[in-house]
Amino acid sequence: MPGADRFDAASRVGEGGAGTGQPTQAHGFPSPAQDYFHGGLDLNRLLVRDRTSTFLMRVEGQGMAADGMMDGDEVIVDRSLHPRDRSVVVAVLDGELTLRRWHERPEGIILATDDGAQVTRVGADTELVLWGVVTRSLHHV
Amino acid sequence: MRERIALVDVNNFYVSCERVFDPTLRGRPVVVLSNNDGCVVARSQESKDLGVKTGMPWFKLQDQARRWGLVAKSSNYELYGDMSARVMEVLGRHGLWQEVYSIDESFVGLAGTAADLLALATRIKEDVVRYVGVPVCVGVAPTKTQAKLANHIAKHTPTLGSVCSLDSLADQDVWALQQRLPVTGLWGVGARSGERLRAEGIDTIADLRRADPSKIRKKHSVVLERTVRELNGVNCLPPTAERADRAQVMYSRSFSTPVSSWEELDQVMNLYTQRATARLAAQGLRARVLTVSAGTSRFSGEASFPSRSVALPSPTADPLLLTRYAVSALRSVTNPGTQYVRAGVMLSGLDRDTEHGGQEQLDLFGSPGEGEQGSLFDDAGPGTAAPSGAAGGDGGSSDPGRSSGAGDGQQLNALLAAVKGKFGEAAIGLGRGGFSEEPEWSMKREFRSNRYTTEWDELPTVRA
Repeated sequence: MPGADRFDAASRVGEGGAGTGQPTQAHGFPSPAQDYFHGGLDLNRLLVRDRTSTFLMRVEGQGMAADGMMDGDEVIVDRSLHPRDRSVVVAVLDGELTLRRWHERPEGIILATDDGAQVTRVGADTELVLWGVVTRSLHHV
Repeated sequence: MRERIALVDVNNFYVSCERVFDPTLRGRPVVVLSNNDGCVVARSQESKDLGVKTGMPWFKLQDQARRWGLVAKSSNYELYGDMSARVMEVLGRHGLWQEVYSIDESFVGLAGTAADLLALATRIKEDVVRYVGVPVCVGVAPTKTQAKLANHIAKHTPTLGSVCSLDSLADQDVWALQQRLPVTGLWGVGARSGERLRAEGIDTIADLRRADPSKIRKKHSVVLERTVRELNGVNCLPPTAERADRAQVMYSRSFSTPVSSWEELDQVMNLYTQRATARLAAQGLRARVLTVSAGTSRFSGEASFPSRSVALPSPTADPLLLTRYAVSALRSVTNPGTQYVRAGVMLSGLDRDTEHGGQEQLDLFGSPGEGEQGSLFDDAGPGTAAPSGAAGGDGGSSDPGRSSGAGDGQQLNALLAAVKGKFGEAAIGLGRGGFSEEPEWSMKREFRSNRYTTEWDELPTVRA
């Protein structure tokens, strides 16, 4: 059947090819490295602790630039984590998703940008809606 | 130690997904619109309180919307699909087993003492909102029918905090509730069955629970008999994936502009059949029956919903064969010059393609919309019910019954999937389905929010 070869070749591309780094042609001897190759470095394994609770966001503004989260960078946010003192968090303030440092002070929680331009005392005037905890910044260099 | 079934569903799922990324929508009336922003398919509680109904056309709501501060959103399939997958994965971690029922509902197997069960259900509720950000209700009971009922009680009894485990309620309270709730509040009991039951003096769920199952079977149906048994704690609903009524794959859409020529209808059928076939193949299934349908506008006089079912010569997942059948079957029931606003393809009579090692896969989209919102894909539209006499037809005027060669199209499906995986959805298609420009009738989604979780250039922004 004339078309069959084409289908076979194509399905090999689908299975191997760019994703695995395996040669797509099945001619000749197999590479001696083949038995040792179990897939390349997977950034998801490094960066995503739990895919159900992990979200990506894009930073707008320079308030957290001192810690490498600059305007236009992406941050990785895990909703399932509890913040500790000095965690970077995403919090809802005035209906907006904001990037803030979480300070645990004797008088209560303070959310602030590192440049000191934004400081919010949680409690009396503001209801805290914590969205998630930032685990990584993907800084563009 | 008791084995129980939890039914977990997301409250106002589509709206809840929107609110995760746009906190300004919290506490406001919000609706999500169907394909082409036609009518309301999902409502926030605030919209329900305002009297907005599912199915209301958006153009009729627009004026009041401004007064009410009501926000409309176009369906954001990419977002809802991704959020659904997250919810289902979280639920799956908590259960002994899991059966995804629809995009926003899942059964989960639990076991433990009455106290354990309540604690597990509460943990499930808290975890979904903490991990994914959407609120759920959990109903726990010995059978699926009762779990659905418990879920309903959880939803409508504020003091329960969205969780209801029947083992934690006093027997007399359960009876009292069942005496208050009409039979139509039960899963699978529609308005028509409700009327027939009422004529026999069966008004409430408690009445039905006391009824004689074998009499119910004779007078009504096996389905209703099962409901009676399930209400009495006897499990008789098989897993969703094995149920006959679930055994269909559907692809149905409205167009943004009416289509009136056969050439355009052919194009539509071509594309829709390929999409449906791709879903079929991904689940390792083959179809015996193909049903095509079209519909004219409800707002321009008498609407018509022509449809036709075709029995296939043998079970198949061959996209070439199915597309040919679909195109000619639709031609046989439509007229050029008539303005059609929607069309659909349904593949049914499914069986598993064991030869090719078809893999069982969670089907988030294939089930009939049982939840509060309309189905994500506008499934089960009026045009899909084919006259039963049409089944077993000859496939239309021409004879499309020539397969694409070896087997039943699995190789071709694999090839198409591979190319699309590598070069994108629009990279390859058959015949008129293989165009790379957006055709004119493709969907309108004017108020769509960003695809926050699936597109790099549409991520939510966070202000620093």
